[in-house]
Amino acid sequence: MAKPVIMPRFGMTQEEATIVEWLVNEGDHVDPDDPIAEVTTDKVNMEVPAPAAGYLGGIRYQVGDTVPVTRVIAYILAEGEAPPPVEEDAPPVVEAAAAEPKISPEATIAGVSASPVAKRMADAQGIPLNAGRGSGTDGRITRADVENFLTSTSAVVPDPGGSVRATPAARRVARERQLDLSRISGSGPHGRIQEIDALNFQAVAGIASQVYAVAGEPVLVPLEGIRKTIAERMQASAQQAPHITFSLDVDMSRVISFRQSINAGLPVNQTKVSMTAIIVRLTAWALRRHPFMNAYMRDDGILLLPNVNVGVAVALDNGLIVPVVRDADRKGLYQIATEIEDISQRARTEQLLPDDVADGSFTISNLGMFGIDQFTAIINPPQIGILAVGRTIDRFVPDDEGQPLLKAMMTITLSADHRAVDGAQAGSFIADLRAALEEPASIML
Amino acid sequence: MPETRELTYAEALREGLQQVMEKDDSVFLIGEDIGVYGGAFGVSAGLVEIFGEERVRDTPISEAAIAGAVLGAALTGMRPVGEIQFMDFVALSMEQLVLQAAKVRFMFGGKAKAPFVLRMPAGSGTGAAAQHSESLESWFVHVPGLKVVMPSNPYDAKGLLLASIYDDNPVIFIEHKLLYRTKAHVPEEMYEVPLSSTAVTRQGTDLTLIATAVMVQRALEAAEQLSSEGIDVEIIDPRTLLPLDDQPIFESVKKTGRALIVHEAVGTGGFGGEIAARIAGSEAFDYLDAPIRRLTGLDIPIPYNRTLEYHTVPQVENIVEEARNIVRGSY
Repeated sequence: MAKPVIMPRFGMTQEEATIVEWLVNEGDHVDPDDPIAEVTTDKVNMEVPAPAAGYLGGIRYQVGDTVPVTRVIAYILAEGEAPPPVEEDAPPVVEAAAAEPKISPEATIAGVSASPVAKRMADAQGIPLNAGRGSGTDGRITRADVENFLTSTSAVVPDPGGSVRATPAARRVARERQLDLSRISGSGPHGRIQEIDALNFQAVAGIASQVYAVAGEPVLVPLEGIRKTIAERMQASAQQAPHITFSLDVDMSRVISFRQSINAGLPVNQTKVSMTAIIVRLTAWALRRHPFMNAYMRDDGILLLPNVNVGVAVALDNGLIVPVVRDADRKGLYQIATEIEDISQRARTEQLLPDDVADGSFTISNLGMFGIDQFTAIINPPQIGILAVGRTIDRFVPDDEGQPLLKAMMTITLSADHRAVDGAQAGSFIADLRAALEEPASIML
Repeated sequence: MPETRELTYAEALREGLQQVMEKDDSVFLIGEDIGVYGGAFGVSAGLVEIFGEERVRDTPISEAAIAGAVLGAALTGMRPVGEIQFMDFVALSMEQLVLQAAKVRFMFGGKAKAPFVLRMPAGSGTGAAAQHSESLESWFVHVPGLKVVMPSNPYDAKGLLLASIYDDNPVIFIEHKLLYRTKAHVPEEMYEVPLSSTAVTRQGTDLTLIATAVMVQRALEAAEQLSSEGIDVEIIDPRTLLPLDDQPIFESVKKTGRALIVHEAVGTGGFGGEIAARIAGSEAFDYLDAPIRRLTGLDIPIPYNRTLEYHTVPQVENIVEEARNIVRGSY
């Protein structure tokens, strides 16, 4: 059954349009919405879409012809079907709904009306602004139209850096070193990225993002050294230790304000207390209360450990390493922060001492700086637990009255070895940890 | 090594005036009570005995007449130095200064010039209330054709005064009252500190602190306190506000990534806004790691009550606190 193609009405006051070009030859196959003709009104150029799949036939008008709206200009035919005979003065087909105003990047028409900001945005994004009516007065294309167009096309993605809070200096560093600002977590007010954050990220990203230039032949990275150790230990852990995992969300508001106030008193050149340092300290406190989480799983039993030695996973270019803060439950935050900074620095420059990584009783892995919300870590045997820390981000949570409240939230996930502990034990450990994170002062009680 | 002695700011100005008057007959002084009385702050004390009433001329209380007289004399080849007793009353001279003096060189196609200096004490801190305490430099900075000079120490006071007297443009020379008794080593011989030469008064790495007049001294004190906290402040003294030598400011901000502008004048429409805008529009922008901040006088007339007066303009402790907040990332 032949489907008529009618001259669409693009605007309320439009009576006719002129055919500029047939984009499809008679007899060619089209899919629904394929542009088959370009037409012009006094304002804009538009495309006429195919109403159905089939073969174009029975073209009624030639280039340059001006056609009243709703008049049939061609047909979409089934294979082998002949176009219906031409009836002179055929009554207009039932009027189709006014075509949806769309901005099409293809058409080429002069005299388009657009607001200055829309023009500028379109220029900046390389969109030819010569298509369609906008939503503004008299069809003027507005900023919103361009934004809609941008979000509806995957070809053009606005620079995500534009919406990230960062100082000019941080932006310069990111530009110079080709860092993705959206991946950097900021230490400034309201999470603004400072120059130092970009510089530090470079130190981390330089490791994480070291890529093998693979071109042509596949590259085999031999399983040796630290990589081999990690492979063997992680496989053994995954196979031998039945992992049970527990996730919960923590309100970090108090930790954040606590951290700001203690760092505000520090000399500028002293290592600031990091979030990791605080998490290490509070985890150590919780471990002291839950000896089964501060233990080793052995063939002959569960060895409860007298010292709380918290390991902190640090990424290296060929793997990761876990420096250990010994007796973390007996150290102050400044000392913990300085130790982590010192060991991490030496880990990255391959100057670690064996003691730096020995005797860990529990491990913390923090991937918040990479924008990870939540993940599950594999236990580092013979330890019994590992804590996976996601990023801290503002989220709406209900207050007591059910009203949304914006809070800095962080998701932590504990993996525990079910051979040694049960859900209740592990669960009460992580619940205590949450309580400490939500009210750091409580550990003094 | 040239001879230097400790002189006060007022003495350094007086020595400069005396030396230039001895050397150059075209220089004369004119103002209210500058003769036998020696000027309200004693800058011209004793000069009438040396040079006589012809060259140290007392006037009626008419700031418009003083400004008109120095302009007229300058147009006829003299290099007069006028004094407005308190900067507040320069309001009465504005027609002569803004409509005439600033324009004359341009409107006569460079064939006329007005090489005069108009000295005026400014600023609060003396308990002299709202009409004798203002800092009005930004009025003049807004007028092309004038030069605006604000020395912050005795050495610059003498050197900038001599440079101003020998500049062929009308120079508004603003002296802060609280600086008159501050002391520093000043060379005995005549020397000029070039106009439009911004000084780096203190080197530092953490914060660029741009200050004018008495605020330079307060900034130096604040910097000492801050250094004990590990905050290393660089102090920039523009010395000449118009035309402003801004490149050293940009260089400093590129180094520190942070800028604080401190002046006594009220903040709204103040010169700090000009400096902030220039920094934001310069190559230093990409180095900013904190918002540019201003610490200025409050937007109110200076109160008579000494306690209120004290808290109306930036003091050392305010500078310390603001600098600390910027460097510690509170903004």
